[in-house]
Amino acid sequence: MEQLFQSAVDEVSRLLGLEEKELAILGDADAAASELVVSEFEKYVERKYNPEVPVVLKKHNLMGVPIKEEYGGRGARQLVQALFLERMGQTGMGVITFADVHQCLGSLTIQDWGTEEQKQRYLPRAAKGDAVLAYALTEPEAGSDPGSLKATYTKEGNGFRLSGSKYLISNGSVATNLVTFAYPKEGGKGPTAFIVDTKDKGYSVDMRLEEKIGLFTSDTSLLTYDGAFVSKDDMLGPEGKGFSVAYSALLNGRIGIGSGCVGVMADCLNQVKERATSRTQHGKQIGKHQLIQKHIAFIESSLEACRWLVYRAAIKKDEFEKDTKNIPLRNEADRLSAVAKYMASRCAFESADHAVQCFGGFGYSIMSPVAKHFLDTRVARIYEGTDEIMELKIASSVLGKDFEAYK
Amino acid sequence: MQLHLDGSDTIGAPRERVYALLTDPSFLARSLPDAEDVKVLDASSLEAKLKLRVAIVSSSIKMKMTVNKDEPPVKASLLAEGAGSGSNLKISSVFTLAGDEKTSMSWSADAEITGVMAGLGSSLLKGFATKKVAEIFGDITKAVENSEKGTTIK
Repeated sequence: MEQLFQSAVDEVSRLLGLEEKELAILGDADAAASELVVSEFEKYVERKYNPEVPVVLKKHNLMGVPIKEEYGGRGARQLVQALFLERMGQTGMGVITFADVHQCLGSLTIQDWGTEEQKQRYLPRAAKGDAVLAYALTEPEAGSDPGSLKATYTKEGNGFRLSGSKYLISNGSVATNLVTFAYPKEGGKGPTAFIVDTKDKGYSVDMRLEEKIGLFTSDTSLLTYDGAFVSKDDMLGPEGKGFSVAYSALLNGRIGIGSGCVGVMADCLNQVKERATSRTQHGKQIGKHQLIQKHIAFIESSLEACRWLVYRAAIKKDEFEKDTKNIPLRNEADRLSAVAKYMASRCAFESADHAVQCFGGFGYSIMSPVAKHFLDTRVARIYEGTDEIMELKIASSVLGKDFEAYK
Repeated sequence: MQLHLDGSDTIGAPRERVYALLTDPSFLARSLPDAEDVKVLDASSLEAKLKLRVAIVSSSIKMKMTVNKDEPPVKASLLAEGAGSGSNLKISSVFTLAGDEKTSMSWSADAEITGVMAGLGSSLLKGFATKKVAEIFGDITKAVENSEKGTTIK
């Protein structure tokens, strides 16, 4: 097992306990991450989506890590899911984006909100890797403010017709199904969540967004619903309760992104350690120059601090899963997931910046092992809740409900 | 940067024959994949330009390889050293053969890499090297087996 990951697993096991089947998941994660190193690098340099990611995750039975065993998954609690994504994060945020969206935003949302029939229909396929899920909330005119969504639905026969566009959707062009959101065309209610089949003729991928500043190995698309049909059996959660569905998904997703960012910091530390001990300048290893040590100290401290923030958020979410009527506990899990995502994404970006600096001129090339982290972690400070939205959530959790933004 | 790789393989030819071919620079010259300007220098050495492709970037390294018959027909070593495209590469490898009609080969290699290539990092280089070594041994194994069957090599 990769050394930094092994030490994290050992520490969590010693302090909190990990069962054999949980250790098996983490062993599989280690094998899959090692297997993805070469294809992630090759596709990154080519600036292409990496189709090997779902193949390798499927091979190691990792597509359904957090899905309950009764639905064909491996039943991992959030803490184990966080460790799994931490290891995958060492390969880069491209892998994390695929896994987080498929599992945390897609599968877990169906598991939390779906009817028994929906769970039976979607989760075994998602766990096996026969279905890939995406989460389509953002629109060209609705980012941090999902209240301004323009997508609408109308009732027709035994289902609904969806119209509108969804923008910057990860896994958008590779997904078999999307969890999406739309307002009723006639107004009067909040948005509703739906599960869309991407084979429907009213669904199209308008554009694959490949002009990003990073995250090349992750698929990002602009989607259009032009009368896409959704059966009434594919309405997710109660009608008009789309925001509750969306926010619960983001709670899971933020822990996932935070976990991936911890993995990025671990990889930055590994790469910088290797560079600092193997490269010689001014007659000695660059690690013996104290200003290089300053960079290393930042990355190491960030990794230690953020790792435990993420674990704490995951543990709180696990507590909530055992007591789902406990709203204060849910709010605490929500607050901690925001803190974890906010800190881990910022520290990962800064750690990548320090790592690039240690690599000197070569660090500026995407052939270096750290440049991709610098480019990719920038989006972790934007997607699934910008820095600013996280700050508003965190501050209002301190000040109280009267201080919530946009009241 | 130091890198260690090891592995094993089975070749469908007798050990004596495998040993003779693996320690023959002319045979290696014909069997190495992606090699250009191959020149056999003497009974134990050759030089060649090896093309290494990493994603869309390809580089070429001029290598000198020397084979030592340490313990015929059981053990031999290969030292390869070269430079090119801003990188320096030194590989010391040992292979050990066992068996009679079919040969089991176990091998280990230690590489020392400096320059541009070293900057890619050991985890990535190990992944690439594992793929490349498997390709090289695959080609060599095929060539040995073909030569045993009397098929023309390349």
